[in-house]
Amino acid sequence: MSLALPSGVHFASHAEELRLLRTRPQRAALLLLFVALAVFPVVASNYLIGLAISASITLIAVVGLQITIGMAGLLNLGQSAFVGVGAFTAASLYANHGLPMLPCIVLAGLASGLVSIFFALPALRIKGLYLALTTIAAQVMFPIVVLRLPESWFGGAAGIGIDQPRLLGTAVDTPAAFYGVAVGVAALMLLLAFNLQRSHVGLVFRALRDNDIASSVLGVELGRYKIMAFFAGALFAGVAGGLYAFYIRYVTTDQFTIWLSIWYVGMLIVGGLGSPLGAVFGTLAITALQEAVHAGGTRAMNLLPALSGGTIFAMTNVLLGAAIIFMLIKEPHGLAHRWRILKTAYRIWPYPRG
Amino acid sequence: MKQLLSRRHLATLAAGVFAALALGTPAHAQTTYNVPISLDYTGPFANVMDSWHAGQQAVFDWWNDTRGKQLGVKLAMKTYDMRYDASQVARTWPQILADDKPIVFLGMGTPDLVSLMKRLPADKVPMIMGTAMVGPLWTPNGWHFSYRPTYSQEFAGLFAHLQKQLPEKRALRIGTVSTQGLAGYVDQVNGVVALAKTYPDRFAVVSSQWVDNTPVSVTNQIREMLQAKPDVILVGTNTAQVVATLKAVKELGANVPVVTSSHNGLTEVAKAVSMEDQDGSFSVFAFAPSMDPSLDQIRQIFDKYNKSKGTWGITAAQTAGQALLTVAAIERAIAAVGPTKLTGQAVYDALLAAPFGAENFHGLIKSVRFTKEAPFPTEDLAVKAVTAKGGQLVPVSKDWMPVPELAKW
Repeated sequence: MSLALPSGVHFASHAEELRLLRTRPQRAALLLLFVALAVFPVVASNYLIGLAISASITLIAVVGLQITIGMAGLLNLGQSAFVGVGAFTAASLYANHGLPMLPCIVLAGLASGLVSIFFALPALRIKGLYLALTTIAAQVMFPIVVLRLPESWFGGAAGIGIDQPRLLGTAVDTPAAFYGVAVGVAALMLLLAFNLQRSHVGLVFRALRDNDIASSVLGVELGRYKIMAFFAGALFAGVAGGLYAFYIRYVTTDQFTIWLSIWYVGMLIVGGLGSPLGAVFGTLAITALQEAVHAGGTRAMNLLPALSGGTIFAMTNVLLGAAIIFMLIKEPHGLAHRWRILKTAYRIWPYPRG
Repeated sequence: MKQLLSRRHLATLAAGVFAALALGTPAHAQTTYNVPISLDYTGPFANVMDSWHAGQQAVFDWWNDTRGKQLGVKLAMKTYDMRYDASQVARTWPQILADDKPIVFLGMGTPDLVSLMKRLPADKVPMIMGTAMVGPLWTPNGWHFSYRPTYSQEFAGLFAHLQKQLPEKRALRIGTVSTQGLAGYVDQVNGVVALAKTYPDRFAVVSSQWVDNTPVSVTNQIREMLQAKPDVILVGTNTAQVVATLKAVKELGANVPVVTSSHNGLTEVAKAVSMEDQDGSFSVFAFAPSMDPSLDQIRQIFDKYNKSKGTWGITAAQTAGQALLTVAAIERAIAAVGPTKLTGQAVYDALLAAPFGAENFHGLIKSVRFTKEAPFPTEDLAVKAVTAKGGQLVPVSKDWMPVPELAKW
């Protein structure tokens, strides 16, 4: 876990060592990142801003999954359903009850967290693939339940539309404005995840993941912490869903499929399960790969008119799958692990990283 | 040489060039307007996109070449690969608004509706669809329009025709195959159930089977359904369910026709089940089928102006109808505000101003009247259908088949 640090960096206390930002260059790098994120909407096209918004929303859901799967070791294949619960909750609270945008997003997270408890209960008795099956049940049940609830709640089959959202009295009516909201919330959620990881609860989650029986022998209340892990992961999904609802401005059950859940897991595996940073790398890598493959497919279609769109679409999916397999073979611990190796090599250069 | 370049000569030459240029300019310069089009070249409908876009492209090129020239307007198609993904539509739309300044947008399917329905009124850009609609979208004051009513209404038109063909006077017995959890699919069944409730002496839903979205086999469900002795089996969902249903019917030795729509129609199904094995089954929609004898004119337009490898068929006919409605609305808007002042608002007003007569559509669509109460026509609805006969697709009826009145369900 601990990384090699440059010569001369030492800590006077354990708290210092646990800080998220421990060195001056780290603080400078973070500042540069914030500046880049702030400048991005000024220089980027509306399409790229939209892409960044989608990636930010996806990132929050994948970070939530990292908490459930990566930190606590509880397999969850129904994250998209929890995103859906959040989206419907936010849309309903905003459209039907007139709540402001930010409280809607917060309550969306809480609603998803509460719903997840129902599916976390089996985690008290089962784990691994058996637990994964119960989360798939969440995915299957989600649209059926939403369609059968009274239409005044979540719109039933019609879904719910949202008028132009307003934040603190200001209309969020441009891509740049929504970018600010989405990236801001994503940064906040990421900070929460990093803090959770190094907190007492995060340590317990990791103990559960490594050996739940040994943890219980050491006094960990398994049931309580498993439910907490599900709640935290789904809370993130709910917040992502709330943002999604305000971004797309219309939610129906068809938008939250099991395929989306599988993509979330794929992103996490590619990025690395062990840290929220893995969720960041995975989301960015897969989003960039999807864009590149689609752009390549469109270009191929223009250059090779003899090929049909159907053939090219099939090829883009094959290429996407092959790229993911290649990445997993070359770096099974995820891109975050590769990033750590790179950092270590840089810090101790010219000595070998061992 | 010196004389030739004198100021007087230069002035005369300049005046001559200016006059020549001025005379060479057409009396009515064409004003160009962008018409963005949502397509799916790298998503689930990629395999039909060539023909899909060919229908739109041929009509727009024909219009630019004929009516557009007379009216001084040129429509520039801008195609966008939206991948049939609502997020992709949402992030592309601001770019479209900023770059294209569209006066109308041609949508493709549910992702366009979901992402844009709430934005269009504020953005003042009407969206015209070529697909049938669903009950949940039956809401007032939208800026999205389709010349086709709901799927359930389209099915109702064929059911009414088939009910009249029954040898004895009784209700047509309908079995339905669909998927729970997918709002649009559930709505198709709800609409047909509402039809049966409205006309109990004409229609009866005798069995509703809920199956996987892309099932491997539905034999068990169809076996159960056959006990209720349906006259027809409605599968309005997707091609996979139609294929599974046809295979199950054959496996069980039954002879019950399957009713499909345009997107999951018999031509698409023929890639997996031969046309001979679909004998007697139907596809129904609110436009004339591509082989309809009344479509000679639009067929000639397509043959002359189609520049892509797309071919004339049900798909191209469907989107040609969408494009014909679009240019009809634009023509009406030009008449109202002039060729240089076209806006999305003008096209929206034109769509709602008065009915569009059948003469606008070269036999492809009957007539269309929009009101603010629904995003599709709700009165004087009629459909046409095709059926598989001896390995060929043939029109069910030469005339339009009227759709029974059906209240919002």
